[in-house]
Amino acid sequence: MNEWIQKFHQNFIEGDRFLFLLKGLGNTLIIAAFAVLLGIVLGFLVAIIRASYDREGKFKFLNAICKIYITVIRGTPVLVQLLILYYIIMSSMNNKILTAVLAFGLNSAAYVSEIMRSGIMSIDVGQFEAGRSLGLSYSAVMRHIILPQAVKNVLPALANEFIVLLKETSVSGYIGLMDLTRGGDIIRSTTYEAILPLLAVAAIYLVIVMCLSYAVGVLERRLRTSER
Amino acid sequence: MNAKKEVLIQTHGLCKSFGDHQVLKDISKTICQGEVLAIVGPSGSGKSTFLRTLNLLERPSSGRIVFEGTDITDKSVDIDKMRQKIGMVFQHFNLFPNHTILDNIMLAPVVSKLMTKEQAREKAEALLERVGLTDKANVYPSRLSGGQKQRIAIVRALAMNPDVMLFDEPTSALDPEMVGEVLELMQGLAKEGMTMAVVTHEMGFAKEVANRVLFMDEGQIEEDREPEGFFGNPSHPRLKDFLSKVL
Repeated sequence: MNEWIQKFHQNFIEGDRFLFLLKGLGNTLIIAAFAVLLGIVLGFLVAIIRASYDREGKFKFLNAICKIYITVIRGTPVLVQLLILYYIIMSSMNNKILTAVLAFGLNSAAYVSEIMRSGIMSIDVGQFEAGRSLGLSYSAVMRHIILPQAVKNVLPALANEFIVLLKETSVSGYIGLMDLTRGGDIIRSTTYEAILPLLAVAAIYLVIVMCLSYAVGVLERRLRTSER
Repeated sequence: MNAKKEVLIQTHGLCKSFGDHQVLKDISKTICQGEVLAIVGPSGSGKSTFLRTLNLLERPSSGRIVFEGTDITDKSVDIDKMRQKIGMVFQHFNLFPNHTILDNIMLAPVVSKLMTKEQAREKAEALLERVGLTDKANVYPSRLSGGQKQRIAIVRALAMNPDVMLFDEPTSALDPEMVGEVLELMQGLAKEGMTMAVVTHEMGFAKEVANRVLFMDEGQIEEDREPEGFFGNPSHPRLKDFLSKVL
C-alpha cells in the first residue's frame, strides 16, 4: 500500500508533475472543442451542398469538390493529415494548437457531413413538398422543417463522431504538442513508471467521454419529448 | 363554357416523361374560378402527376401552365410567390412533426412575411375553430388521428389565403370512419366558392360536390364533363369499364 502512495507522490506530486496532465488536458479540450465547432460548421455546409445536389440537382460544381474532399479525408489517416498540415502546409506558422484544430476540424467535417447528409436524406420527401407547396423557399424549408428533424435523427451518430474526435486528438504529440496523452507520457519518461501516469490519462479520457455521453442522452430525451 | 367565369389556370400541351415513360400526353385544360374538379382514373394514369405539375412540384417536360395570367413554367417567374396562391393537400398529410399544430398553420404565412405573427395566430385560431380542433393548438401532429391531421393540413394551406386548392388523394390514407369528416370540410370549401382540383377515388364526392369530372387514362384526359353525364351516360369505353369496377 505504502509503495503505491509513494509512487503516486513521485508521479504526480513531486515537482508538480500533475501540471503536465492539467496543461495537457487543457490543450486537449481546447483542440477538441474548436475542432468540433469547425467540424459542425463545415460539415453542415458540405452536407447541405451534397443533399441539395442529391435532391434537386443544385450546386453541381461545389458538390464535386465536396466529394473529392470527403474521399481524400476519409481515405487517409488523420495522423498523416496532421503531419502534412504541420510540416508542409502550415510549416511557416509554427502554431501547433491552431494546426491541430484545423487538422482535426477538417477531418471531422468530412464525417459530420456524411452523417448530416444521411439525416437530411432520411426525411420524407413529402416534408420538402409540403413546405415548397406553401410557397416557402428551398432554404426556408431547410431551416424550419428539414434540418431540425434531420439533426434530431442523427444526434446519436453525431455524438459518437465527437467522442471519436476527442480521442483522436491523442495523436497531437506527433507534432510536439503537449496534449493530455503527451503530458502523461512526459511523466512516464521522467519517472520510468508507466502504470500510474497512463492509467491516469486513460481515466481522464473516460470521465470526459462519460460526461459527454450523459449530456447527449439528456439532450436526446428532451428533443424526443418535444414532439409529443 | 360559361363566358362570365374567370380563367384561373390554363395548361397548354402539357407533357411529362419519367425516363422513357410518358406520364402526361399533351394536356390542354382550363380551370375557372369557383370550379370544383374531380379527377378520377385508374392508378398510374397520371392524375397525381397532372395535379403536381399545376404548382410545379413536377416540372413538365414540355408545355406551359398559365396561372392567373402568368406563365409559371417560365424560369424567371418566382415560383414561391405563385405557390403562395396555390394550396396543396397531400395523401399523407405531411404535417411538420417538429412543430405544434398552431405552428404548422402559422409557419408559412409568417416565414414568407405575408402576415405578422399576431395576424397569423389570429388566422390560425379562427381556422382551428372552424375545424373544431382548437384544443389541439399546442400539441404535436403525432397526437392526432388521420382525419384530424388531414383537416389540419387543409387549414394549413388555407392560412395562405390561396386562390385555388389542389387535393392529391386526400382521403386515400384514412381509415374509413375518418373519410367523412375530411370530405365534409372539402364540401364546405366548395360551397364557399373555393376553386378546387381533387384527385380522388371517392366517386360520391365526384358526384355530389364536383361540378366537373375528368377521367384520366394513360396520360390523357379522356372525358371532361359535368357529373350527371359523366356517371349517367359515360361515352368512352375505358371510362365505362372503370366505372363498372369502382361503382
